[in-house]
Amino acid sequence: MTFHQFAYRNVIRNLRIYAAFFMASFFSVFVFFIYSMLMFHPKIDRGFLGNVPILWMVVAEIILVLFTWFFIFYSMKAFLEARSKEFGILLHLGMERRQLSKLVFLETIIIGVMSIVLGIIFGYSFSKFFFMIVREILMLDELPLYLSWEPFVLTFAVYLSAFIVISMVSVHFSPQRKIIDLMQGPKGGNYTVTYTKTRTLLGIVLILLGYWLSIVMTRTSLYSFSILIPILITFGTFYFFSDSTQYIVESLKKKKIVYWKNSRMLPLAEQTFILKNNGKMFFVVTMVSTLAFLSVGLLSTLSSYTSQYDKLNPLGLIYKGHIDNPYEGTHVSTLVSQLEERGLSYHLTRFTVKKQTSSYTQYEVEVFRESDINSLLFSYGYPMVRLSEGEGMFIPYTEESIKKLSKRTIETVLVENNIPIKIDQVYPKLIFPGSIVSLNSIIISDEDFAKLVNPYKGYPNVEPGYHLFTFDIPQWIETTDIGLSIQQNVSAEYLKDEYLLPYYFENAGLNYSYILSTYSLFTLVGLLVAAVFLLAAGSFIYFKLHTNLENEKRKFDALKRMGISDNELKSLVTKHLFPQFFLPWGVALSHSLFAFIAIQKVLKNVANISIVKELIFALLFLVLIQVIYFYLIRWRYIAHVRD
Amino acid sequence: MPILQVKDVTKVYEGKVTNRAINQLSFEVAKGEFLAVMGPSGSGKTTLLNLISTIDKPTSGEIIFNYIKPQNLNKTELAFFRRRELGFIFQDFNLLPMLTVEENIVLPLTLDNQPVEVMEERLNTLVESLDLKSFLYKRPNEISGGQAQRVAIARALIHRPTIILADEPTGNLDSNNSREVLELLSKINKERKTTIVMVTHDPIAASFCDRVLFIKDGEFFNEIYRDDRRQTFFQRILNVLSLLGGGQVGDLSSIRLP
Repeated sequence: MTFHQFAYRNVIRNLRIYAAFFMASFFSVFVFFIYSMLMFHPKIDRGFLGNVPILWMVVAEIILVLFTWFFIFYSMKAFLEARSKEFGILLHLGMERRQLSKLVFLETIIIGVMSIVLGIIFGYSFSKFFFMIVREILMLDELPLYLSWEPFVLTFAVYLSAFIVISMVSVHFSPQRKIIDLMQGPKGGNYTVTYTKTRTLLGIVLILLGYWLSIVMTRTSLYSFSILIPILITFGTFYFFSDSTQYIVESLKKKKIVYWKNSRMLPLAEQTFILKNNGKMFFVVTMVSTLAFLSVGLLSTLSSYTSQYDKLNPLGLIYKGHIDNPYEGTHVSTLVSQLEERGLSYHLTRFTVKKQTSSYTQYEVEVFRESDINSLLFSYGYPMVRLSEGEGMFIPYTEESIKKLSKRTIETVLVENNIPIKIDQVYPKLIFPGSIVSLNSIIISDEDFAKLVNPYKGYPNVEPGYHLFTFDIPQWIETTDIGLSIQQNVSAEYLKDEYLLPYYFENAGLNYSYILSTYSLFTLVGLLVAAVFLLAAGSFIYFKLHTNLENEKRKFDALKRMGISDNELKSLVTKHLFPQFFLPWGVALSHSLFAFIAIQKVLKNVANISIVKELIFALLFLVLIQVIYFYLIRWRYIAHVRD
Repeated sequence: MPILQVKDVTKVYEGKVTNRAINQLSFEVAKGEFLAVMGPSGSGKTTLLNLISTIDKPTSGEIIFNYIKPQNLNKTELAFFRRRELGFIFQDFNLLPMLTVEENIVLPLTLDNQPVEVMEERLNTLVESLDLKSFLYKRPNEISGGQAQRVAIARALIHRPTIILADEPTGNLDSNNSREVLELLSKINKERKTTIVMVTHDPIAASFCDRVLFIKDGEFFNEIYRDDRRQTFFQRILNVLSLLGGGQVGDLSSIRLP
């Protein structure tokens, strides 16, 4: 048996020990490779989606890589610790330290290469499936499977270098223990309590301060707070796990009536040391889980935005042009003929909107005619507007504005034509999307509108009004290819410094498809990253448990002799595992809850959407996953300590 | 009425090589007796102790405690039986490192859901009689081996078991600590009338007992009772041991003689 054979057999015969490490590396290689396949895809590469999603994907890849490095490093350390007895025997038999490093290095490379190769093979076989999903989401005609060297080389290089560097570093920097200590097996952990009251207090105060700030956060303090809060929470969480938790358990232990009870004493006594020895890991798990929660929550927020899209954009197509717009006739007839060609039913309303100056504000106000509006309202199936001479009505620009405007009564005069108007009502529903109408739009009666003879005082420097063509289309999602040429002109004009075209065009269906596909891509990327995070966070705990398994077995052996029943053993294990699983998660959940309270408030100001329902759903789903994972690990754990 | 009866117990380990660890072994332990079980390595001492402690079941024969037959109990009942009727002392103490000395001692009572007052009262009596006061709030890794074994004895006593089973209690101790622990055990045996079954292969430890049972290859070999002087008892134990060594009387080295 050569040295290399020895290393190889070590790995192959200890596959069970390595399984968790292997699976985690395998899964992250798998995800990384699929991303790279998408990133290097010739179709996507040619800027089909613009630069934003690609940039986002690169960021996700970098986060993934950094995290994987940390993860591999941590699990390496846990393994070396768990196998210290074996290393002790090898050193006892006369192995040099150098040879031991070589052994560990070889084994890591074997495991690493295995997980890389398998990850790539599985990744490649699943990428067609993945592309099909992406194609559906992005509404592409086709996204074929391709073969090129880039994703393969990138994945291989990134992960191989990770395994090489980390295996070398972790052997070199692990503290050298005496052979006699190594032979005793993994260190049982340090059983002294170390916490200071100051840091205990600091942990709790910092977290509470962060929570409080996120509650009182407003739009103006958004920027300063959004830097301050993460810093507060990060430090707070660190001290919370290093000191506060220990303090809490210790003070619980002082109450004998609580502490000296059936199956409470052992778990409680253990918690102090579990918390003390794993504080840093719990801190990392908490922060990582918070990140994962946040990304899942944000994604569900985006999905809620897309689901509310049609409410915010009631119109299928909107064409808006200057009064003297030369293209008006041709454009509108093109749109109409395209709609008819596709067999989409529509209701076209033509608006003439005039600008006037209001004596009340001294600013311009956009005036709509009652009968024009009623024509559109009729096709919506909304209640009509009835106005008599001298009356006016506000047009709401957002859902929020309906409430605000309904409380206002204004008596004004349209200065250019000296027409008095009393505005004391608001239309109770959103008629136009916010981007089309100005904040100062009113409806007046046909009689008053006919009297508007003199143009806006700014004319001819400023346009005196505009023509608006609205197409109410029930099947608005299917209008993606209507008016494409006009849309292209408009978007090209947007990229210039000044918007000079005499017309403007909006296709809700097309916009929706863009938004939907971009957000879906975000979702895809975000969910996969979150999945890797969550898997890794669980694996951290699993590794730590695995390292301590021998000591735990000994403990349960003694307990079994002293007489604990099977049910009591199970309840001891549950109480032993429960805090490790759910304390970091609980803290992470509460962190993300407060983060979402802040986000919800900001979003309410910006985009006027509510995310509560989606959030609760997403978080419940995560809790469910964690509970399943907990029972899985508990089942394995009980099986281990029982025999 | 004997407190423990072992009747024709046979234990066979089946596996690739079938191994008869205990063969047709019978003996009785009277109430308040201090019994040592001796035998060379591989004679089945530990198997016997495991059978008595009910964590293993005999292949045939039966073990009876005070009219209770553990074979007829289910797993949970067995656990309750062990926690109330049996006390254990181990060679490597088996104290739980995360608990303090005090907590280790009361552990059997907390498992049995006793009220805190009872625990404190019993703890106090034990602390006094075993002299544990000076290190009551330390952790097991901060005390010496002799102290740790005293703690283990206290833990074995606190729930007032019918019988104490000790597995090489002096195996990890130096001579002074060994003597201390053995004197403590025989004091407990005399004062509290506690029944003790001790497995050992140290003749000095055995000489503290009332009776020594010798087994060889899982079978009963011989038994001797204590007489007035420990010195002569010890001598007789050595004589039997030399016979145990496979018939060649001369192969026991003279160094082991005092």
